[in-house]
Amino acid sequence: MTILENKAIQISIKNLKDKLRHWQYMFFSLLLPIMFTLMFYFMFGHEEDPTGRTGFDYGFPGMIMYAIGMGTMNAAIMFAQDKSSGMLNRLDTMPTGRKNMFLGALISESLFLMLQIVIMFIVGYAILGLYYEGPLELFFGFLIAVLFGISAVGLGIIIASISKNVEVANAFSLLVFMLLIFLSGSMMPFESPIVYFTPPYWAKQIFLQLTVLGHGLNDNLFNSSLIGAGAETIPITLFGGLLIVVTYTIVFIILGIIVFQKKTKF
Amino acid sequence: MSKLNDYIIIEIKELKKYFKEVKAVDGVSLKIKKGELFSILGPNGAGKTTLVRMLTTVLTPTAGDAFVNGYSILTGKKEIVKKIGVCPQDIIIYDVLRAEENVEFVAAMHDMPRKEAKEKTKKLLEDFGIAGRKDWSKRFSGGMQRRLNLVMSLVFEPEILFLDEPTAGLDPQARRLVWDFIRDLKNKESTIILMTHDMVEADSLSDRVAIIDHGKIIAEGTPTELKEKYGSDNILEVSFLEQEDLEVVKNNIQNIPFVANWSEIQKKDRKTLLIAFQGGLKNLVKLLQQGLIENIEEVENIKFRQNSLEDVFLNLTGRRLRD
Repeated sequence: MTILENKAIQISIKNLKDKLRHWQYMFFSLLLPIMFTLMFYFMFGHEEDPTGRTGFDYGFPGMIMYAIGMGTMNAAIMFAQDKSSGMLNRLDTMPTGRKNMFLGALISESLFLMLQIVIMFIVGYAILGLYYEGPLELFFGFLIAVLFGISAVGLGIIIASISKNVEVANAFSLLVFMLLIFLSGSMMPFESPIVYFTPPYWAKQIFLQLTVLGHGLNDNLFNSSLIGAGAETIPITLFGGLLIVVTYTIVFIILGIIVFQKKTKF
Repeated sequence: MSKLNDYIIIEIKELKKYFKEVKAVDGVSLKIKKGELFSILGPNGAGKTTLVRMLTTVLTPTAGDAFVNGYSILTGKKEIVKKIGVCPQDIIIYDVLRAEENVEFVAAMHDMPRKEAKEKTKKLLEDFGIAGRKDWSKRFSGGMQRRLNLVMSLVFEPEILFLDEPTAGLDPQARRLVWDFIRDLKNKESTIILMTHDMVEADSLSDRVAIIDHGKIIAEGTPTELKEKYGSDNILEVSFLEQEDLEVVKNNIQNIPFVANWSEIQKKDRKTLLIAFQGGLKNLVKLLQQGLIENIEEVENIKFRQNSLEDVFLNLTGRRLRD
């Protein structure tokens, strides 16, 4: 327990209780994505292509990234709330340690986003019967989604740290989140090279090609090229895309730690 | 005061905190002994909270330094926060957590064993009348939230306790409860630093008081010392039924050395004598014995206004604490 101290776990338990008891968080992070999923399913879920897959089979990975991205906002709002209520200052007068505060937030948000993904999987694959290649591919897709989610949490903590209050954090995170989701082409196709600069694009694309297009794991992971914004392949493999998602995650987490340390100290 | 020893647990050296043009704390130097209940008394905006925020390592000073239990607030944060408990002026609680969840969370942050934390939490919540509440703390009354705010700073029995206006907004009964608790803590050798603008609170609880105004300490000492040095005279106001009685008293008090002066006023249809005298309650008893009781049969009304820390502040600054 040198890195993951008991205090970080206690903070994460407290955060989860806090989250689960706020209906606003539950609505925006769980119910709203489900509502969108159902809406898109009824709009695009019935026209099959020659392979037997519907438009929504292809669109659902983007929907998952959207649901996870909502976590960015929630992490930012929760953190900003603790900051403006003075709770961060109060914690600062205890032997809590900033590392534990950050880790605690990261653990709770990561656990919550896993719950989000599981619920989205249940709604999409178990209830609506959307297409997926196999359980192994789906599990790998789950891991990609979690990885992207952690980067989103890092981004959320950065936004909260630089926001003066909850209202600013709310507006700023919504702006960043919506921009990233739309510019990444996660919700609807966006044929522009801008997509390559957004983390959700890479996460969605790997998820899509693994679980729906069946580009598989094994050798294909290193040989299959990703499909770019113009529906043509790009010279980056699935594994290359995975490295980009990992890099984004590491960068956001490190930046999160630095900005959190600097911007919450008076 | 017998239990106080000479170990200086907090030493503040020329501490300053400026917010742009505003000098919130402007060169404060103080020494606080172990086991002492030290009050910092001043009006709102005098710099009390800024001072406590620096001493508790939340705020970095512009200049100067302070040593808490031997550790500098500039470099010893890690060690200092292990020993201190802070009850902030604002109510800072997790509003969707229950009372015991809030308190046990703080205990966990101080590495208290789970069982001990639960027992201590239960006891404190009972003592402060919050036990049995199973709803979220956002549904508590303001007074209950404030008591919970205080309990959160007490659960781990800190060696040094900073209380920033702990009784603000409490009803008289709850205020008395908190005062009794503070006295109990004092008997357990805790060092308590009380920030307050309530002169009665400072007067009745403190071993020593520092008066702060515009970020500077303007006086320091025991409440008695301060009142003797900077305070006003005590005033005894006596109304008589008969003018002759008033004259008798006037004659009697002329020879009492601690009587500073007197004046005669008309209150409604009664002749009233205002007697200003120095010293404490002992002198009040002497005055009543020598000046009144031995000679006067009937007194219509009697009032006593004791020299207070409010007078000290007024005499030092020309303003009242509430201004």
